[in-house]
Amino acid sequence: MTTAVDIRGVTKIYSPDSNQAVKALDNVSLTINDNEFFTLLGPSGCGKTTLLRLIAGFEQVSGGEIMLFDEEIENLEPNRRPVNTVFQHYALFPHMTVANNVAFGLERLKKPKPEIKATVERVLTLVKMKELGDRRPNQLSGGQQQRVALARALAPSPKVLLLDEPLSALDLKLRQAMREELKQLQRETGITFVFVTHDQEEALAMSDRIAVMSNGEIQQIGKPTDIYEHPVNRFVADFIGDTNFLDGEIVDLNDDLLTCRIGAQSLFETENSGHHKVGDQVTLFLRPEKIMLSVLDQENDSGNRPGKVKNLVYLGNQAAYTVDMGDGIELTAQARPREDGELPFAIGDPIAVSFSARALKVLAQ
Amino acid sequence: MSDWLPKSAAGRRWLGLAPSYFVIGIFMLIPMVIMGVFSFLEPNPYGGVKPIGSLAAYIKIAFEYDLEDKLVFNPGYLNIIFRSFQLSFGATLLCLIFGFPVAYYITLQPENRRNFYIYLVTIPFWTNLLIRTFAWIIILGRGGVIEAPLLATGIIDDSLRMMYSDGAIAIGLTYSYLPLMVLPIYASLEKLDFRLLDAASDLYANRFEIMTKVVIPLSKPGIIAGCILVFIPCLGAFIAPNLLGGGKKLMLGSLVQFQFASARNWPFGGALSMLLLSVVIITLIFYARAAKNRAAMEGSA
Repeated sequence: MTTAVDIRGVTKIYSPDSNQAVKALDNVSLTINDNEFFTLLGPSGCGKTTLLRLIAGFEQVSGGEIMLFDEEIENLEPNRRPVNTVFQHYALFPHMTVANNVAFGLERLKKPKPEIKATVERVLTLVKMKELGDRRPNQLSGGQQQRVALARALAPSPKVLLLDEPLSALDLKLRQAMREELKQLQRETGITFVFVTHDQEEALAMSDRIAVMSNGEIQQIGKPTDIYEHPVNRFVADFIGDTNFLDGEIVDLNDDLLTCRIGAQSLFETENSGHHKVGDQVTLFLRPEKIMLSVLDQENDSGNRPGKVKNLVYLGNQAAYTVDMGDGIELTAQARPREDGELPFAIGDPIAVSFSARALKVLAQ
Repeated sequence: MSDWLPKSAAGRRWLGLAPSYFVIGIFMLIPMVIMGVFSFLEPNPYGGVKPIGSLAAYIKIAFEYDLEDKLVFNPGYLNIIFRSFQLSFGATLLCLIFGFPVAYYITLQPENRRNFYIYLVTIPFWTNLLIRTFAWIIILGRGGVIEAPLLATGIIDDSLRMMYSDGAIAIGLTYSYLPLMVLPIYASLEKLDFRLLDAASDLYANRFEIMTKVVIPLSKPGIIAGCILVFIPCLGAFIAPNLLGGGKKLMLGSLVQFQFASARNWPFGGALSMLLLSVVIITLIFYARAAKNRAAMEGSA
């Protein structure tokens, strides 16, 4: 597998000589494969956009190096790097038509006129904007501008396409539609996509691999399922999806199972990964969708724990329940409405909660 | 609501604008009409005009009566007018060449420092133009600030004769009106989205192309406004031409001033003013039309 972007120990410090020095990236290393949809995911200020701007060449690294297809690009100006960017607010040239915007990069590369014309038509067709080539950017809707920005960045056939939160300004429906289109576009063109977002759903939906970032450091790199099912720390588990965290202590273990005490006397069992011993303080996590809620049946409650519905949030296709388990423990769980549309439980209902030991996982501290 | 207010919206709008109509009427329109009327009368040799209609003033711009009282073409005044345009054009170009980088530099500064620099740009307006132009005599003059050290060190052994030349006038005009170029260009550059520069550079534009393809096209309204603001007063200027041109190299403005002050030919001065005014109006009409086209082209946001 060819490596498209190789980031080696990159550190970025803004205004290093002043007393307001800000460390945006701290010794970040990662490799992005050719033909991969790679996502940099993290909250605002985590350094993901800085990393993107370093690859594009708008900023200079303070330490480390960035290789593009085994070529050192440190000393190349942005206009000499074979990468193109889709900017967060599109940054379309307001004084040019859509077609001229798209042709801009090709013209700078001194491509022959007929080739430019053909390429512009091809990429505008690709993003379904062929009919609007004569418009100006301010005559377009947000979604259309987004497509033009995409076409403009794709036109010069970059080796790597950098996307800086390109969907964040669109409304929900459009954003969801564009996710699929972007993913499809990446497959069709075979161009390596480096996608920056703070939206975990977006990242999970599109990416081949995700790097979760926080405070200028990489927290975890992996496939979407790895990141979701096997987060390496509390930050990742918390940032991706909804999670129940349970802090406690290991009180017993055998070859298969760990027994943890949460609260004063509640015992929970989880798979033994072999890394822990009795007396360890641990954090367990449990995804809400792994919890089964059922009507409390006093006589036949093997494996079920009793609880009480404390709160519920109706979301249409499902409802999120907050269940009071006693002993200071609260769990968030989900349940689907019944076929007649009524919710299965109401606030105050006694309820049975069950989940398998495999669903409950121990987080590395 | 008071009864004396006009009932219709149009009437009330007129009432609101009345004070400004009044001021413009008294201080601009009426003097211009007087000037226009005077230009069609005969001069009184002791100043003022005789109430006799005549086109002599306009004829005088391009013709004169020879010794046999025949009308012959005389390009003397036309040459002055042509030179005025040349010099104004040159000064405008110089203002643009010096003013654009200044405006661009100020735009790149941190926000709190920008206002300070703009304040510095306007400082020359605090002193009378006459005094500031005199300063240029000291700089450019024989044995002046520029020549003295060159003469003393023997780099030159004669005066450079910088004064009383078209060059000196152009320098004086450029100096006088430079702020009028910087301010409108700054105003349009300030609105420039600097992310567009990143985008251009990302799309393989080098520094020169970023300027010519993105920055300059987007600051065009400011550049055009600046050029008009400099060109028009340059055409009518008389302080710089009189002081730095030595009064020998006349410009349109000094010619007009001369007709009213010394030559006592008010109709001719009026006719020249009307000529100047028509040039200005034509320029502004072109500007307005260009602005309208641009607005139509870029569509409504």
